[in-house]
Amino acid sequence: MENIVFLAFIAALCTVDIIAFGQFMICRPIFCAPLIGFFMGDISTGLWIGMIAEMIWINAIPMGVAVPIDASPIGILSTFWVCKYFMNSQEAAMWGLILAIPFAYLYRRIDISGRNFNIKIMHWVEKGIQNEKYGRINLGIIVGVFFFVARAFLFYVFAMVVGGWIYKGIYLQFPEPILIGFKKAWYLLPIAGLGMVIYNLTNVKPPFLRHHNHHHHHRHPRRNWNSPRFFHNRHRNIKILFLSHWDD
Amino acid sequence: MIKIYSKMFLRTLFLQALWNYERMQNIGLLFVLKPFLYKIYLNEDKRKEALLRHTGFFNTHPYMSNMIIIVIANMEKEIAKGNCSEKVSEVNKIKSVMEGPLAAIGDSFFWGTLRPLMALISIFILIILKAPDSRFAAYGVLVPVVFISLYNAVHILIRYRLIFMGFLFDKKNIANLSKLDFMFLWKMGRLGKVIIPITVLFLYLKVFGFGPESVSSGANIQIIFKYSAVLALSVLVSKKFGSVPLFYGVILTCIIMSYLGM
Repeated sequence: MENIVFLAFIAALCTVDIIAFGQFMICRPIFCAPLIGFFMGDISTGLWIGMIAEMIWINAIPMGVAVPIDASPIGILSTFWVCKYFMNSQEAAMWGLILAIPFAYLYRRIDISGRNFNIKIMHWVEKGIQNEKYGRINLGIIVGVFFFVARAFLFYVFAMVVGGWIYKGIYLQFPEPILIGFKKAWYLLPIAGLGMVIYNLTNVKPPFLRHHNHHHHHRHPRRNWNSPRFFHNRHRNIKILFLSHWDD
Repeated sequence: MIKIYSKMFLRTLFLQALWNYERMQNIGLLFVLKPFLYKIYLNEDKRKEALLRHTGFFNTHPYMSNMIIIVIANMEKEIAKGNCSEKVSEVNKIKSVMEGPLAAIGDSFFWGTLRPLMALISIFILIILKAPDSRFAAYGVLVPVVFISLYNAVHILIRYRLIFMGFLFDKKNIANLSKLDFMFLWKMGRLGKVIIPITVLFLYLKVFGFGPESVSSGANIQIIFKYSAVLALSVLVSKKFGSVPLFYGVILTCIIMSYLGM
């Protein structure tokens, strides 16, 4: 149990990096999954899990007000479960990844309600400024960070314990062919992840370049950037450009 | 004044600590500006007015926000010096004009280009380390360290520079921003975008077959065919459905293949 408290705290610190503090990218699975693996005594499984999660969820980052599912719970939880119950088993690591996704959706719900709760703190701070209690600005930030960490911490304690029971209970029931399938997926998912990476890298374009493209559209019809793909993805591109003004 | 700027830089790390659905980063912005406003406004009433001015909506990319913060700070400095009353109304206007484009640049450069590239470089190292006959298998800890240090070397430098470049920018010469060589960064990123995924892919093909044991079985052409099919399909699935269906789709396919004995 002590171990779970410590690891949940480390995991919460990693997860909070994505929004509340810093954005040093310690929240990315390629970093936090091997970190948890390091504390559990198996970096190597953590690295592979981190690699898969990093590539499949390469575009999962909050842009503007959109909140995608967070890749860090996926990497952290699956590494923790596999190291705790079935050390060094690739099939079990795969099952961990499968089970971690619903938990990542749960965390997303918690995150959204937390950000709604922040509205109340924000109004409290604003009222403080009107009444010349300027200390509330610093206090508001401290409270904000505290709640972010506390939410993530409680989530991880819950997911590590309850998720662990579910994880272990179901895994022992799997028949042989499913385990062979998991083993195949362990080596095939990095390729699928590369597909995701290639799709994303070819589709995210900076707005200043887009402007440039449009300008020369008729004069240089043979240039690469006038490809039908650019035209086909125009809605996506425009969405990225204006995402900061969108409300969903 | 350098001390104040350094303080502001440290405070920008907490910009999103009170991110909320109503006005997003507003309290974070206030938290960053607070020491600066305390320094320039010695009159209590004017200070309160200035603090209240920044409780409005604010949302941009957390790294690029430094540029906006510093432009606003320079405007506030002018206002604090007195005389022209017109500028007060322009502070929020400048804020809302700059936040959209800078967010777009930040999202596509940092999160669309820099982070995936650094991740791919570390994955490249991981695949070399993981090769079945690798002598360096024990150095796995290098992978996350390389990722974090490469990414943050660029990110912290840019963030820090944006705050201190603020000495050069005020409202009148925002146009100077366009002289920053974003195109150069983009071209470099673009080169990496093509080369790195392909290198990683070839390395992966060379090191692992369908599980390491099948490398020695000699069925290389079949393996390459299978992998290209998976790659092509996954690009398609990514485009149509996104990450989660891609992930579950691959696993389901593997289980079906295993039942069919392929």
